[in-house]
Amino acid sequence: MQLVLSWPIRLLVVGILVFSLFVDGAGYVYRIANHYPLTGNVPGLPPNFGGWQLFFHRGLDLAGGTHIDYQLTNFPAGQSRADVQQKTIQVINRRVNTLNVSEPEIRGAGSNYDRITVDLAGVNADQAQKTIGAVSKLVYTSWVPDDKVTNGPEPGFKPKLTGLTGDSIQSATATINSDGTSWVVNIQFTQAGGNLFDQLTRANVAACPGDPASVATANCAQRHLAIWLDLTQKDIDNWENADYVGKVSGPYDPGCLAAQTANTVCGKFLTDPVTIEEISGGNAQISGSFTQQSASDLATGINAGSLPVDLVALDVTQVSATLGAESVKLSLAAGLLGLAIVVLFMIIYYRVPGLLASLALLFYAGAVLAVFKVVPVTLTLAGITGFILSVGMAVDANVLIFERFKEEVRAGRTITAAVDAAVRRAWPAIRDSNTSTLITCVILGFVGPSAVKGFAITLGIGVVASLISSIIVTHNLLAIVLTAGGLRRPGLLGVDRVRAV
Amino acid sequence: MSELSDVSSEEQQADIVADGEPEPEPEPAAAQKTAPPPAAEPRVRRLNIIGLRNVFFAISLLIIIPGIVSMATKHFALGIDFAGGTELTVTFADQPSLQRVEGVVDAEGLNGQVIQTKDGYILRYPVLNQAELTNVEGYLTSNLGEMSVQQQLSVGGTIAGETIFYSLLAVVLASVAILLLLAIRFRNVPGGWRAGFQFGGSALAALLHDVFILTGIFSILGKVFDLHIGEIDAFFVTAVLTVVGFSVHDTIVVFDRIRENLRVSQRLSFEQVVNLSIMQTAARSIITSFTVVLVLAAIFISGGETIKGLALALLIGIISGTYSSIFNAAPLLVVWRRLQPIR
Repeated sequence: MQLVLSWPIRLLVVGILVFSLFVDGAGYVYRIANHYPLTGNVPGLPPNFGGWQLFFHRGLDLAGGTHIDYQLTNFPAGQSRADVQQKTIQVINRRVNTLNVSEPEIRGAGSNYDRITVDLAGVNADQAQKTIGAVSKLVYTSWVPDDKVTNGPEPGFKPKLTGLTGDSIQSATATINSDGTSWVVNIQFTQAGGNLFDQLTRANVAACPGDPASVATANCAQRHLAIWLDLTQKDIDNWENADYVGKVSGPYDPGCLAAQTANTVCGKFLTDPVTIEEISGGNAQISGSFTQQSASDLATGINAGSLPVDLVALDVTQVSATLGAESVKLSLAAGLLGLAIVVLFMIIYYRVPGLLASLALLFYAGAVLAVFKVVPVTLTLAGITGFILSVGMAVDANVLIFERFKEEVRAGRTITAAVDAAVRRAWPAIRDSNTSTLITCVILGFVGPSAVKGFAITLGIGVVASLISSIIVTHNLLAIVLTAGGLRRPGLLGVDRVRAV
Repeated sequence: MSELSDVSSEEQQADIVADGEPEPEPEPAAAQKTAPPPAAEPRVRRLNIIGLRNVFFAISLLIIIPGIVSMATKHFALGIDFAGGTELTVTFADQPSLQRVEGVVDAEGLNGQVIQTKDGYILRYPVLNQAELTNVEGYLTSNLGEMSVQQQLSVGGTIAGETIFYSLLAVVLASVAILLLLAIRFRNVPGGWRAGFQFGGSALAALLHDVFILTGIFSILGKVFDLHIGEIDAFFVTAVLTVVGFSVHDTIVVFDRIRENLRVSQRLSFEQVVNLSIMQTAARSIITSFTVVLVLAAIFISGGETIKGLALALLIGIISGTYSSIFNAAPLLVVWRRLQPIR
């Protein structure tokens, strides 16, 4: 154990202490360095030290927000599933960016690239699902005659997919139209999309020539080009079902689409304008009864691109920010209360060694919190509980050492020898005690359900840190402090008698 | 130097009594003031745990048997992450009575369940999609006044199944790991493999004791008393595994002492060695658990609603674990040794 008591080790411990204090107080260091007030919101927080941000990463149950697990279905054939998953994540990322969420987390998961997990702080579930799942694919259809169709925008006709979709669009912008009366969305097609649009409008005009505004026959159904969102061939196959068509032709309903199940039919209709003249050059305009909000939502949706797969929400968790803040407050209170009780108990029961152990415990808590910031570990409610529990468990090693210490002193050893012997003899028990807890943590961390992983990680980190803290810090403090003669009185050490040196 | 010969009985007796009572301020000083005469011979303590073993076994069975009956007949109340469904944690500005909320939810006809919490309600439905949920929220607001949704959970069947699967997988792996740990720790007990089997088997029995106490109490809380806190979820499984790790270690510490003392003091009977070892390690076990219990009590009292179940499970489990390692594991070893003598 001479190694443990050597100067390099002590320097290292002091180094860890200083570093932990710096990391734990990074916010204040930053405020002081930049002459900001010490409380309240300050620009530039969390502090950024050369691209290295130091702050507690709060899980959604503490920050408030929405967590969704999506199942990916209808993978396009002939593409690698990993690529499709990546592309989907990119699209979701672009869509989520419109929400201005700090640190959105969108991760791939699943054994077969078939899951995506989304964590959005400060967004409610409704908003999140609408943004991620709703505005999907812009679809242009032309009309073909079908006598059995009795309902919809053009009775007697059913839509036909033209192949022109959101994928053919370069960009979309929401503007006020030329006469300044309503909101429209301007679209610029890609090269191929522009050519296709040119052909389609040409075919429109050729179907019934003339000026649709003045000549009644010129305004035939075939001259219209309808625009839908998310319209599928399956919908078109049901077009002879009047009830179904009535629903699909309803105004576009993002809320319904976001929560769509196999049996619900949602409105997907956007507009069905007549083509005045053929349009070449790749620009088009979508008009309809838009508000500023709905026009810009649509433009954003089109810009973000379409999802290559269908998303089904498997589970949705939404925590309000107030509940999150409340949880933080309660956990903090629980942690401080727990720490205070343990410190009080250790000092009353073990006297000076107890005080030293409490100092070691504070060192331990500071170091672990610094680790959480540096790694970074995302703290959840369960994670904080794991950390608080580890504070209680960290005492275990100290108790083992002190009980042995008492025995060694009773056995007639000098204080110095007793400290050494106590640490040496308590070590196997300390090692084993932490091993069994660590085994549990590792198992839970790897195979446990995701909710409990945070608990396992913080408890695991805590256990390892407590090992270091008790063996090195407590031992060194005991060795240093107990060289002072005044402290060697039995009453202060919690033992009955001390042998004179 | 033998560790046994220097410890006086009175002094340890005092320690045990002081530690045994879960008081925040034990009086170690009382033990120190009486200058103890150096004891030449190790003596068996007056607190005869081995002699009273049947009492301790009975206390354990008194809790375990109702628990097993409850588990067998009524099973468990499942938390949302195991059962699946949609759960809303809400508070109402008007603070309507439980009856009124139940009436409104029943009238809705969606099979909703109402659970009262400290300052609001938990409403549980079969899985609802976002549109249905929006409707439900509108319905509740129009009937019960302004409502704030604290938390909303929707767990589909797939995820619920997976959570149960991974929880069970963790339990199986942890059991295997703990069995391996026991096998490694007791592979070279004096007396050959049969003795090792007795040590490992007794430790395993103590471990099962803790698992049955914990699951039994939660089954009773959840099904007999219909308490929200008695629901079984992923956190409960976490608590069980944490408790098992903690308890196994307490037992190992006692058994290590027994092994050590068997080597050192050949003159004592097996019962005496076991009792002595329990006495020597009890202080450590109780103090360690006591600090953890203090911390857990703090979480239980001041922690949020969501984490109380975890804290309670850990609390029960750790108390049970300490009890079983002191009062069940070692006495069980004595019983086993009597039935199947070695040497």
